[in-house]
Amino acid sequence: MTQTQHTNRPRGGSSEPLLSVRDLRVTFQRQGEEEFHAVDGVSFDVRPGQTVGLVGESGCGKSVTSLAIMGLLPGRGNRVSGSAIFDGEDLLTLSPAAMRDRRGSEIAMIFQDPLSSLNPVISIGRQVTEVMERHQGLSRKQATPKAVELLERVGIPDPKARLLNYPHQLSGGMRQRALIAMALACNPRLLIADEPTTALDVTIQAQILALLKELVVDTGTALVMITHDLGVVAGLCDEVNVLYGGKVVERGGRHGLFRDPRHPYTVGLLNSIPRLDAARGEKLSPVPGSVADNLPWTSACAFAPRCSQVVDACTRETPQWEGDQVVGHRCFNPMGGTR
Amino acid sequence: MNDTTNHTTDDSTDHSTDDRTEDARGARPTFGQRRKDRIDQLATAGTVDDEPGVSLIRSAWKRLRRNPIFLIGAAITLAFIVLAIISPWIAPWDVTARPLLDKVRPQSNPVPGPEPGHFLGADDRGRDLFSRLLVGSRQTLIVGVVATLFGLLGGLTLGTIAGAVGGWVDSLVMRIVDVMLSIPSLLLAFTVASLARNPSQWTLVIAIAIIQVPIFARLLRGSMLAQRASDHVLAARSLGVRPTAIVFRHMLPNALGPVIVQATLSLAVAIIDAAALSFLGLGNPDQSQPEWGQMLGRAQPFITEAPHLAFYPAGCIIVVALGFTLMGESLREALDPKTRR
Amino acid sequence: MTQTSESSSDATSDGTDVLVEASDLEVYFPIKSGIIFDRTVGHVRAVDGVDLTIHRGETYGLVGESGCGKSTLGKAILNLEPPTAGSVVFDGTDIASLKGEDLRRERKRFQMVFQDPMSSLDPRQTVENLLLEGMRAHGLDTDKDATRARLRELMSSVGLPVAALSKYPHEFSGGQRQRIGIARALSVGPDLIVADEPVSALDVSIQAQVINLLQDLQDELGLTYLVVAHDLAVVRHISDRIGVMYLGGLVEESDGAELYDVPLHPYTRALMSAVPVPDPQVEDSREQILLTGDLPSPANPPSGCRFHTRCPWKQETLCDTERPQLRVVEVDGASASHRVACHYAEQVASGEIQPHQVEAVSVESGFTGPVDGPDAPPEAYVGV
Ligand SMILES: Nc1ncnc2c1ncn2[C@@H]1O[C@H](COP(=O)(O)OP(=O)(O)OP(=O)(O)O)[C@@H](O)[C@H]1O
Ligand SMILES: Nc1ncnc2c1ncn2[C@@H]1O[C@H](COP(=O)(O)OP(=O)(O)OP(=O)(O)O)[C@@H](O)[C@H]1O
Ligand code: SF4
Ligand SMILES: [Mg+2]
Ligand SMILES: [Mg+2]
Repeated sequence: MTQTQHTNRPRGGSSEPLLSVRDLRVTFQRQGEEEFHAVDGVSFDVRPGQTVGLVGESGCGKSVTSLAIMGLLPGRGNRVSGSAIFDGEDLLTLSPAAMRDRRGSEIAMIFQDPLSSLNPVISIGRQVTEVMERHQGLSRKQATPKAVELLERVGIPDPKARLLNYPHQLSGGMRQRALIAMALACNPRLLIADEPTTALDVTIQAQILALLKELVVDTGTALVMITHDLGVVAGLCDEVNVLYGGKVVERGGRHGLFRDPRHPYTVGLLNSIPRLDAARGEKLSPVPGSVADNLPWTSACAFAPRCSQVVDACTRETPQWEGDQVVGHRCFNPMGGTR
Repeated sequence: MNDTTNHTTDDSTDHSTDDRTEDARGARPTFGQRRKDRIDQLATAGTVDDEPGVSLIRSAWKRLRRNPIFLIGAAITLAFIVLAIISPWIAPWDVTARPLLDKVRPQSNPVPGPEPGHFLGADDRGRDLFSRLLVGSRQTLIVGVVATLFGLLGGLTLGTIAGAVGGWVDSLVMRIVDVMLSIPSLLLAFTVASLARNPSQWTLVIAIAIIQVPIFARLLRGSMLAQRASDHVLAARSLGVRPTAIVFRHMLPNALGPVIVQATLSLAVAIIDAAALSFLGLGNPDQSQPEWGQMLGRAQPFITEAPHLAFYPAGCIIVVALGFTLMGESLREALDPKTRR
Repeated sequence: MTQTSESSSDATSDGTDVLVEASDLEVYFPIKSGIIFDRTVGHVRAVDGVDLTIHRGETYGLVGESGCGKSTLGKAILNLEPPTAGSVVFDGTDIASLKGEDLRRERKRFQMVFQDPMSSLDPRQTVENLLLEGMRAHGLDTDKDATRARLRELMSSVGLPVAALSKYPHEFSGGQRQRIGIARALSVGPDLIVADEPVSALDVSIQAQVINLLQDLQDELGLTYLVVAHDLAVVRHISDRIGVMYLGGLVEESDGAELYDVPLHPYTRALMSAVPVPDPQVEDSREQILLTGDLPSPANPPSGCRFHTRCPWKQETLCDTERPQLRVVEVDGASASHRVACHYAEQVASGEIQPHQVEAVSVESGFTGPVDGPDAPPEAYVGV
């Protein structure tokens, strides 16, 4: 099993982390309602040139994690704790103004819905040049040829003409490309992509994923890829974090994780996806129940009611993380175990 | 930090081995069975508790009950309604009686001030101001509520026809509505009211109802159209439900939400409009049936010597309108699907 | 499947009798413009000449990109969207020409399951009312006890507890709501169910539950499905036969397994290679055919083969002048039921012509041409 051991470690594992998230917690408190731990102690590292995936079902806290790191959570009604060390500074304690300076220049973000993250009344070209004017102090004249270059690089045909277009005049795929161009405008060192292809068709998704892959290789940008699609993860990410109920329940290099998943939830997810290359009529084995059945993490494993591997301890205490910052899981009775 | 360390490894393997040995010793059927049962039950669709369902209206009410803004609005409204009903019995003086007539001096003291037994004083005819204010709530309430009801009824009919039938009927109705909406509402009410030969409270009601009709019609038609394009109406069509049933069971009830909110807000507007028309002399001239707007109008000649004569009815109108508005706004918030959890 | 072949009179034992036959189906949506008088300035050709045959007891899967007209085709088959031209013969009756009460009464034989389980359930009705409504509309609720029993049966067949009957849709999770939607479709005892993206709004772990449920119900009740989805993996998992749609037309139709083994149309190949597979080894080794550009506007479809603007195999002749029809081709591994609409399918399959670079052509979003000003999309008219 030495081979497993070896490939389980994602590439880039040796260099210093660029972003190091430790014990991130986000608690929402709405008037007249109980506290809700959307993110419940998440830790992970991102190294330069590495693509780290956060996967999980709707509501598991993927977006909130990224928004907390970016300092973009709505101001009231939430509490954030833990740390997110980026280049020696804790992003969570930076002043809003300092954070604004980092955003767009050193850390950039791409969202799921490109239409609502673009300003509908400003032309694409203007939106791209604005970022450069703000962060690099270029004049509009200087920025325009750069914008053309950027649009070309992300694969927008006829970029000069497109500069004058408004977001609604572009197709979904083109909008997402424009958004990526904006994110890349200042050569960020870290790119966070929150379901960047979920709203797109598969053929367009393939184009965007190929583009992201190429950018990571060319520029050495670190990429945090948030998605619910294990297929996307399998093709793109060096390291994968599987989230459930606000906690990372399993982590591993992509080859190791897919070959030898340990946490029953990861296994359940893999078994419940219909695969293009599987025979017809093969029954899927879904994860029973839904997230509504979750137990609180404080005194149990949240996944226990839906788990096929459940043992008595699962409903009595919180499973602790077993492993390190590179591979590990959080389960009393993990599956596989060949490594 | 704690959870990223390695120290619990022993701990958890302990648990799993415990379990396995227990299994092997024969505890297996019960434990395994229990687990299997639960998973079977979950495997179907997750859990559903046995309590009866909570409708949207009821869950909205649950939220409303805890909303202080709604409670304030509701309290004001309730107080107003109760007052309107019982005012004739609790008013200290008859509204037509002129107990302070002898204190009125057209030159030096046109409006008698407060004195024991008449703590707001009297109006220019020597009638007890407080009693008139109390009883005035009645007319105001009747005009506001009845006018809004009529407006709502007319608007519902037109809006339902336009939204349900569609096509040229829709176009026709909506063009008429647009024309009505393009005239400033008070001007329209003014015109309608001045057509009447003998102004009375019914002139007021009709004039105000007419300006409410296009508002309700347009609102309802819009939300009916949105309902018509919605998936659940398509689902009902594909089930083969009869068109009339679709309109009355699916489209109308779901389209009514915004209309009900609007009705609450409209009550406030109706009361203010009624006051305005009465102020302009288009309301009920009958002094034995006081009305706040009418009182406000009659206070005008004395506004410099006795501003309180205008202040009290105006204050009443504002407070009551505010009550309805607060209620309407919080109702809107509660019925908004976005705030629903 | 066996159950239906017994119940239908003219069934051949191999289950090949036809339940639905759509021919030359077209659905055009007028594009209106004008300030006072609405003029029709063009048409969105959502479905543009589709022939489709669905056999009793089978699952027919329809895949294609967003906006290619899958949903519209599904609705047109049920006459929820009246076809502009063509016919849909359902078990001997042409539904496309039915209207009013006749159509309404036929509706109990074909039902629909919707994509968004929340918006397709009336939020003001209890589950019980939702299920009873269809039965009432078709006079199936005469006997009180029998109706009660039927409701229980429906609930158990979709795996929901009877307690759920008194609840409202907003009190359920997404997967449970989809089950209610399925129960509602089943309530009138249909033969055909058109499922429009039945799982794409659901979480991954819930998707599999619903897919399994659909399969179980088919085995149990002998249902025929038309499943519309953009996810090729899902469609392939549940379908016996698959039709691939591109811009309003079918470009390939085949047995599910065969489509995967021997994809003939360039678009199918590209689609297949774009679907992510949750297996890093497969992902690393497989060859991707990356398409350039976007789906052209259905209001102004390209001439000739609709796919020629993006096709890596496009040739100088025929492709941009003549619209290819579905035909059977002589290719190894392709059976007689495998049809493809490409002029060069044989040469593409044999490797005689090789893919080349395609210059991306920019495509406007929205329906019509002009790009120089904000252009509101046309209002959609839907009749009851
Ligand atoms: N502003 C907020 N106030 C209260 N709760 C919130 C807020 N934002 C998110 N949540 C809750 O936090 C949880 C995690 O949300 P999050 O958006 O991170 O999920 P996600 O994993 O990104 O899911 P999806 O795949 O649907 O995007 C959810 O249960 C959500 O309801
Ligand atoms: N009621 C309508 N009025 C006008 N155009 C319409 C209408 N319904 C659909 N269309 C257009 O017809 C085309 C096909 O739409 P359809 O909904 O069938 O696509 P689809 O393949 O189901 O896509 P998706 O995967 O996004 O659901 C689209 O271009 C759409 O904009
Ligand atoms: S007909 Fe031509 S353009 Fe169309 S798919 Fe075949 S090769 Fe490509
Ligand atoms: Mg999210
Ligand atoms: Mg669709």
